[in-house]
Amino acid sequence: MTEKIITLFFLLGSIVYLYLAGQLTFGTLQSPRSGFLPILSGVTAVVVALVLMFNQLRSKKSIPKNNVDWTKFIFILIGLLFYITIFNVIGYFSATFIFLFYLFKITDTTGWLLPLMMAAGSSTVFYLLFKYYLAVTLP
Amino acid sequence: METLAMLLHGFYISIMPANLLACTIGALIGTLVGVLPGIDTISAIALLLPFSYGMDSTAALIMFAGIYYGSKYGGSTTAILINVPGEAASVVTCIDGYPMAQKGRGGAALTVAAIGSFIAGTIGVIGLTLFAPPLAKAALAFGPPEYFALALVGLIVLTKLTGTSALKSTFMAVTGIMLGTIGLDSLSGISRFTFGIDELDRGFNLSILAMGIFGIGEILTVMAETNTQSSIPSIRLRDLYPTSEECRRSVAPIFRGGIIGFLIGLLPGPASTISSFASYALEKRCSKNPAEFGHGAIEGVAGPESANNSAISATMIPLLTLGLPFCGGTAILLSGFMIHGIIPGPALITQQPDLFWGLIASMYIGNLLLLIINLPLVGIFVQLLKTPLNILMPLVAVLTLTGAYSINNSVFDLMWIIFFGIIGFFLRRTGLEPAPLIIGIVVGPELEQGLVQGLIICNGSIWELFTRPLSGTILVLGILFILYNTISWHSKVNHLQKEVRS
Repeated sequence: MTEKIITLFFLLGSIVYLYLAGQLTFGTLQSPRSGFLPILSGVTAVVVALVLMFNQLRSKKSIPKNNVDWTKFIFILIGLLFYITIFNVIGYFSATFIFLFYLFKITDTTGWLLPLMMAAGSSTVFYLLFKYYLAVTLP
Repeated sequence: METLAMLLHGFYISIMPANLLACTIGALIGTLVGVLPGIDTISAIALLLPFSYGMDSTAALIMFAGIYYGSKYGGSTTAILINVPGEAASVVTCIDGYPMAQKGRGGAALTVAAIGSFIAGTIGVIGLTLFAPPLAKAALAFGPPEYFALALVGLIVLTKLTGTSALKSTFMAVTGIMLGTIGLDSLSGISRFTFGIDELDRGFNLSILAMGIFGIGEILTVMAETNTQSSIPSIRLRDLYPTSEECRRSVAPIFRGGIIGFLIGLLPGPASTISSFASYALEKRCSKNPAEFGHGAIEGVAGPESANNSAISATMIPLLTLGLPFCGGTAILLSGFMIHGIIPGPALITQQPDLFWGLIASMYIGNLLLLIINLPLVGIFVQLLKTPLNILMPLVAVLTLTGAYSINNSVFDLMWIIFFGIIGFFLRRTGLEPAPLIIGIVVGPELEQGLVQGLIICNGSIWELFTRPLSGTILVLGILFILYNTISWHSKVNHLQKEVRS
């Protein structure tokens, strides 16, 4: 099912791309313009995505894959989005500390003290490494 | 003679302390990347791209190349010891390496893999030294039609050789080409598909895209999948000695693997993986005792491990001489070149001889360093395999995000990296290979420039693209390749239908 949804997502993306490419000038073979390759590649992508979709609908075979803990996946995504949201607000060090502690906990690191200490130690090392050694301007 | 003189000059460049240190660090990181199953070569180079800003460009590229070929050494360790290939190219090594480990010959298998990798890696670098300069000279005569033909045929061949379905690879490569058109059109100066977002005018930053699809995508996959880590056997130094019988049986496969790997490395696609499969099939065919394969035949470790290292050196030839990367690893290396303002291609050898020859010479040194590092440190690498992924992956995630932020000091980039990370995660789940996508993004602009300028030069005549000697030959080869694959596919379908009927 995931395969079909992803292929559909790419098919829709290709159709939108082709629509937008159609608004660019195609030109002629003697004088190709900015829409020349986008239109050709858009048409190819739509055709290939349709064939792919058709094959997937016809086939009963599914790709063997490892099980995913979707709850964990959603929580990791929330963590990532939260991190980039608070990154500029509370600063790099604090944001990294909270983010690491959160990730350690949701990836089943046992106890509270160990993840807390690892988060504090790692965020300090990262801060020193980036801020002072690599001279990156951090918030 | 001139090549030898330049190579010696390259050695002088590469033994400079900063370059030698970069080579050692690259080789070490590469080995670690190969050893740790959670991180692949492309992700590792993508993660380290921002860190190389402060480095001298030669040292940075020597380091990236070290990671690239070093990872193939490390990949065999997990394949042999725990039946988990650290790298796709080491999948074949599991077949005979793991049974050898179960029989208590894991140490010998690791040694043969390391020595084979060194010898074949050196064969590959010798090939690179000999073939790259004449090819670069010849490529100076290439015009837009030739670049178009090369890029197009390269992408066609790539889609067939990626190991997944040709249709899926084609789709990924075309999607890459489409993404490559986002931003200012270099020929007309018109903004395309940017939706008024200024940041998109320069197109997608390849480093951000690669860090997202490969780095964050991999992190999400490893963290969310419910896998358990395997138990790791201990290896003592005395276990590393192969018997004289094992040594004797390994010599021919190593040299055969070196040659086959180099030849396959010249073709577009994941050369190291394909060459290891090809070498395994060849060794099985050459063996007097093919029944032993799958149960711990040393030839099944020596051949493929040698082939994948030799192939890696050969993949550098199209990158350095034509500026065209035809596998994921060289595509990400190209972005390493680009962030240092270096455009690889036929002019590189004349305009940046220090970098070109320094890089090649560093590969000889790197191969030797890897042999020296790998065998004595195998015990440490085995210990590293025991690092819990639930601790390692959050740290890698922070490293990736901070590295991405440091490129433009932009939270906007972080949003993109997460977006591409999610895409990368789902691509893995659906069997859509992300490497052709990256290659499409890199090769796409070359393809467009070659096509548009080529058509203008040829006055819109597609036929003229075929009548030019070089572009014509390349395009005809591409057509023959498509015809051959169509006919073989058709006969396979007919054969299957006959079987079903009978």
